[in-house]
Amino acid sequence: MSDTRQFVRPGTGSNATYPPVEQWDDWVEYDSKSWPRRVEKRYMLVPTLCFNCEAACGLMAYVDKETLEVRKFEGNPVHPGSRGRNCAKGPATLNQITAPDRILHPMQRAGARGEGRWERVSWDAALDDIAARIRRALQEKRHNEVMYHVGRPGEDGYMPRILQAWGIDGHNSHTNVCSAAARTGYAFWMGDDRPSPDYANAKCILLISAHLETGHYFNPHAQRIMEGKQRGAKLIVFDVRLSNTASVADYWVTPWPGSEAAILLAIAKILLDTGRIDREFVSTWVNWQDYLRALRPGVPVTFDAFVDALRDEYATFTPEFAEAESLVPAETIRQLAEEVARAGSSLSTHIWRSAAAGNEGGWQIARATFLLNVLTGSVGSVGGVSPNVFHKITPAPFAKPPAQNVWNELTWPEDYPLAHHEMSFAMPHLMRERGHKLDVYFTRVYNPVWTNPDGFTWIEMLRDEAMVACHVALTPTWSETAWWADYVLPMGHGSERHDNQSQETHAGTWVGFRQPVLRVARERLGLPVEDTRTANPGEVWEEGEFWIELSWRIDPDGSLGIRKFFESPYRPGEKVSIEEYYRWMFENSVPGLPERAAEEGLNPLAYMKKYGVFEVRRNVYEAMQHERPLPESDSAQVDDANIVRDASGRAIGVAAGGRRLVGFPTPTRKLEIYSATLAEWGWPEHATPGYVRSHVHHSVLARDRGEFALVPTFRLPVMIHTRSNNAKWLVEIAHTNPLWLNPIDAERLGLATGDLAKVSTDIGHFVLKTWVTEGIRPGVVACSHHMGRWRRDNVSEQTPGTDKWASVLVKIDEGADGTRRVRKLSRVGPFASTDPDSGRVWWGESGVHQNLTFPIHPDPVSGQHCWHQRVRVERAGDLPEGEVFVDLKRAQAVATEWLAKARPATGELRRPLWLHRPYKPTAAAYRRDKNAAG
Amino acid sequence: MRLGKIIDNTRCIGCHACSTACKSENEVPLGVDRTRVKYVEAGVFPNVRRHFQVTRCNQCDHPPCVYICPVTAMYQRPDRLVEFDQDACIGCRACIAACPYDAIYIDPESHSAAKCHFCAHRIELDLQPACVVVCPEEAIIVGDLDDPASVIARRLAREGAQVRKPELGTSPKLYYIGGSHATLRPEAAARPDADIFMWAAQRPDETVGRGAGNVASTLRAYDTPHVVPWGTDVALYMWTKSVSAGALLVASVGALFDRFTGSTIATTWAPLIALVFLAITGLLLIVDLEHPARFLRILTRPQWKSWLVRGAVILSAFGALIILWLVPLVAGPQLAPPSVYRLIALLAVPVSAAAAAYTAFLLAQATGRELWATPLAAPHLIVQALLAGSGALLMAATALNAPGSVCSPADLAWLRIMFLMCLAVHAAFLAAEVFMPHRSTHVARAVSTILSGKYSREFWIAAVLVGIALPIALIAVSGAAVAWAFAAALALIGLYAWEYVWVFAGQAVPLS
Repeated sequence: MSDTRQFVRPGTGSNATYPPVEQWDDWVEYDSKSWPRRVEKRYMLVPTLCFNCEAACGLMAYVDKETLEVRKFEGNPVHPGSRGRNCAKGPATLNQITAPDRILHPMQRAGARGEGRWERVSWDAALDDIAARIRRALQEKRHNEVMYHVGRPGEDGYMPRILQAWGIDGHNSHTNVCSAAARTGYAFWMGDDRPSPDYANAKCILLISAHLETGHYFNPHAQRIMEGKQRGAKLIVFDVRLSNTASVADYWVTPWPGSEAAILLAIAKILLDTGRIDREFVSTWVNWQDYLRALRPGVPVTFDAFVDALRDEYATFTPEFAEAESLVPAETIRQLAEEVARAGSSLSTHIWRSAAAGNEGGWQIARATFLLNVLTGSVGSVGGVSPNVFHKITPAPFAKPPAQNVWNELTWPEDYPLAHHEMSFAMPHLMRERGHKLDVYFTRVYNPVWTNPDGFTWIEMLRDEAMVACHVALTPTWSETAWWADYVLPMGHGSERHDNQSQETHAGTWVGFRQPVLRVARERLGLPVEDTRTANPGEVWEEGEFWIELSWRIDPDGSLGIRKFFESPYRPGEKVSIEEYYRWMFENSVPGLPERAAEEGLNPLAYMKKYGVFEVRRNVYEAMQHERPLPESDSAQVDDANIVRDASGRAIGVAAGGRRLVGFPTPTRKLEIYSATLAEWGWPEHATPGYVRSHVHHSVLARDRGEFALVPTFRLPVMIHTRSNNAKWLVEIAHTNPLWLNPIDAERLGLATGDLAKVSTDIGHFVLKTWVTEGIRPGVVACSHHMGRWRRDNVSEQTPGTDKWASVLVKIDEGADGTRRVRKLSRVGPFASTDPDSGRVWWGESGVHQNLTFPIHPDPVSGQHCWHQRVRVERAGDLPEGEVFVDLKRAQAVATEWLAKARPATGELRRPLWLHRPYKPTAAAYRRDKNAAG
Repeated sequence: MRLGKIIDNTRCIGCHACSTACKSENEVPLGVDRTRVKYVEAGVFPNVRRHFQVTRCNQCDHPPCVYICPVTAMYQRPDRLVEFDQDACIGCRACIAACPYDAIYIDPESHSAAKCHFCAHRIELDLQPACVVVCPEEAIIVGDLDDPASVIARRLAREGAQVRKPELGTSPKLYYIGGSHATLRPEAAARPDADIFMWAAQRPDETVGRGAGNVASTLRAYDTPHVVPWGTDVALYMWTKSVSAGALLVASVGALFDRFTGSTIATTWAPLIALVFLAITGLLLIVDLEHPARFLRILTRPQWKSWLVRGAVILSAFGALIILWLVPLVAGPQLAPPSVYRLIALLAVPVSAAAAAYTAFLLAQATGRELWATPLAAPHLIVQALLAGSGALLMAATALNAPGSVCSPADLAWLRIMFLMCLAVHAAFLAAEVFMPHRSTHVARAVSTILSGKYSREFWIAAVLVGIALPIALIAVSGAAVAWAFAAALALIGLYAWEYVWVFAGQAVPLS
């Protein structure tokens, strides 16, 4: 279908999708509730970005001009990624901003931490206290005691600037419970750690994911996957359970969890054996010379010898071998190979969490996936896969601070020199074992107690004031983690904050502008605005302004060298405003924006405030990036592998077709089928794409004793982790997470749909209802991770604990022997609030919180938490629904066992310098002989 | 202009964006919905598919909800959209009973009927409906079916499209491209026999979707519940109306046959019984409304095709005849020679028969409830009324110490014969309703709830055993007046049971 949506053209029939731009300031619609009485409502349309996932789709707020309230959110028609359309979560943003339970004022704990007593505190008092702590920590060179731990950033480039201005290495993320394995797989191929498939133009789309319902970036990608499919692309979906994506696929392939790479390598073998590889692409862009020299010494370094060697390497990966590993018929695998071969350079593949995040060695699944793109030459091609950096733009802000000269051993321990990225989920274990402590710990849109494995160990860390002196939760809603904070500071939802965000939604680039819509509306009406709090509900703020204010107070006199990064580029010496921050960025760092704005008679900031997005480029393929010519240089030489090297011998590009090109950001500037880094950093057996048997492989399960592989990672199309909190329309659709069980297994275990099953992991068990379905492989069970939210029993009206639409009260018994038992005290039900809908809650289910019963499983290479669990499933007997039991001593033992798999850095550096790392410190900080704290 | 809609199932990914966009645009409260996405899993691992179906108002060209609405609260616009007016609605729920697609609900805030109306308030501004705007896949297409150049007309011309239940003659204007039998036909997929779906609680649902069908291979994986609009109030109203109409019908039939010349059972007691039960009937009708205060709108803004309106007129005429029947009594015996009653009876017979029978036409107007559309219903209701009427008069006669001036022995014998005959014919009708070959799977499933399912106890024990077999046995054993009265009471209980079974079984089959 079309790329652009229709605007209203009065009198032409109901063909239009959006109000015309000229009328965005004053748009009249009929009130739907009064209809068919024609009651006119006047709206101001203000664009922003959705914040319910990382796709950064456009939203258009309809601000009622009479009440200055947001009436609804529709799509932003000029947004190139979402193209005016949204998923279920976009419109539901309205629920979140009007939720009766949301936090409206800064809160400070009143009693002991975790006691659940809170009192209001002023922003000023909170800021002063936190700033003083950070100032003291910096003055005392305790840089690593300040940490910012973020779930999903939702912005590009803002926080690096803040933390690097403070000079700390204090960034922590959620990545290792999410995409670490896929990132690792991609990074060792191409340096960049993220794929950007061009689905719309693909001839074959191979998803090891559920991108038609979830994932990065659900709505924009789902649009283009179906667009490709409508144009004739074959859709192949690998998933052991029937996702909605698998439902509409041409091939639903159901490998045993963790065996995906066996199938992918079997497909690669068929491509190699039948000569259906893109020889020109591979010979130019792959470091096959390194492969031969390292693995086939003595063999002549010719491309044919390489192809022979590769055939030899994958000779054992016959379709029959893959069938034995995956249980997928060899015949199906041959069909898949035909589809892949037929697609040629228009093969779009994608893996992000799913199998990569589930299994030990999952990063090799990502590597095997991308191998198919490399062999077919579908890298950077039309219909192929590009590195995400081709399709994403992070505009530079003013006054970039220098890299921090500090290394944080807690987040980047030297046991995991190749991890992508921070070893976040292992933090409580590392803190305890290695004596780390934190002075100020910010959690932001992050709920580790609930989201991470082994949540009770997180609670142990958070409750210990010797370990975490001050915990500041920056959050729009209550959560299981905010419960353990000292300050709970309310931050805005997607329509209540500023951010710039760009995502690789398709083969183009754009910059989106999230903005507080009521603030913009006030400004358009000429009403006074002091800061975003003026327009937001209660005292809800936004991080953007908060960090400026906090940084200013950390270094009020400039003596720490921080203040200068927060002085206005337009008013020297004065504190920068959030508007000035973006004004500078849009004026100086977004190519083409000033010119485009000028065409409309606007300055760049005004343009972004009006449209909420700017399309930088369309149809971006290889010519834009790795085939960019290198700058002329006399000192650069081309070696016998056609690698361009500078005077120091460092690879800076690739010579191809008589030109010198920049290539990929790897040590060889090529796609690396042989990674010298992996070989040198302790993993020579994984130097090439390979297959690692998962920790839940069918050969390790005693299926006759009720053992299963549990897939606990899948999402539901209307949910987004804990961020869909307080969205009543979404919760009404989905609110429980029964255990998927094949009828064959159900009969064996004597379980029927609705019956209670007890699922035992290595460290405990949980009890939940059963969902008997043909949509899952026998021997495997699955449980969505979305549900099972809870709030403590000693909760007060003032502090609801978390979203009442979805959570229940629980009682947690703590045994002296380190056991924890959670029992539900209630069901979800109607409750009194300012929203009449709260009295109409009709569901009682809330699901079960399974993650508490998972020990940490750090993959020794990627650092990814390997989510899949070997479990025992049986009838629950007398155990109540929702019970969770955990033995923390077992959790500790399993953690120790997995942590021991790591192979620490042994050389001079903590991590390869070339390897991507967010918030990259100085090269000096990489040195192992340098004191970690700087 | 005829606006229609395509749901393109070759593009739909089951994401529920339309569901929340609709909630937002139309401020739809929790617990009800104007559009939902039904999920059905079909097949056996690994050959399984989950089918999605956006399920909502079909914008019928021949809309049963409009035809049945007594007050034009449901109406068709010039562009053939089926629109509703919450301010006009009296809340009789007839439209919900009539809709074959489960598309209408009572809004908990307005207490009026509501449904998808194509976002008519947007259409008038040249804006597409909210679901069309939000859909990530552009899987919902709206346009003018009469314009051969429109996208919708072109696609329908070239691509196969299905509609739901075309056999009902509603002419839906909601077309599914790539629709699946598993989702289009409500009977194709059973609900799991549990209190959950794949990710949601299964709300209590009064239809009988559970357990039926091949659960292993076709399973309703997600849905919202099926609303049963009419309950015991309606069964009770049918019963009281039966007694009321029957009492006068028996008296007036008797009058035509020169009966009751010396018995006050017909001149006094029959109209009094009719009046009292008519009053109860009226009260039940009003109390059952979501907006009782708007009751009079049936007469002040009538929609004449609705059998609720026609029924109201018939009941009014019937009430007038009861009064007329009572006039001679009040005015004095000299004014009440048998000839006067014969004269009134000429009118009273058809009007009370109509009062008894019109409900058959009303129920048949509920297009979605196929069980009710039986041609036997009208004569059966008349027989039920005669049975109820003769039974009530027999009981009254016994209570008033007949035989005597209340009811002469000959009249009593006549009443008894009438009662027995009606009981036999009622039994025959019952047998015909449940044992004749069924017109459709819907009817077959509804009847199976009567014979062996959810309502079998009410049917076999209350309607058949208590209502038919026991009275006959009682009379056969003893000819005493008390036995007759007792038999009549049992028959009346049985009649109520039958109304109950009929009302509920008619609504027991899932519509979507």
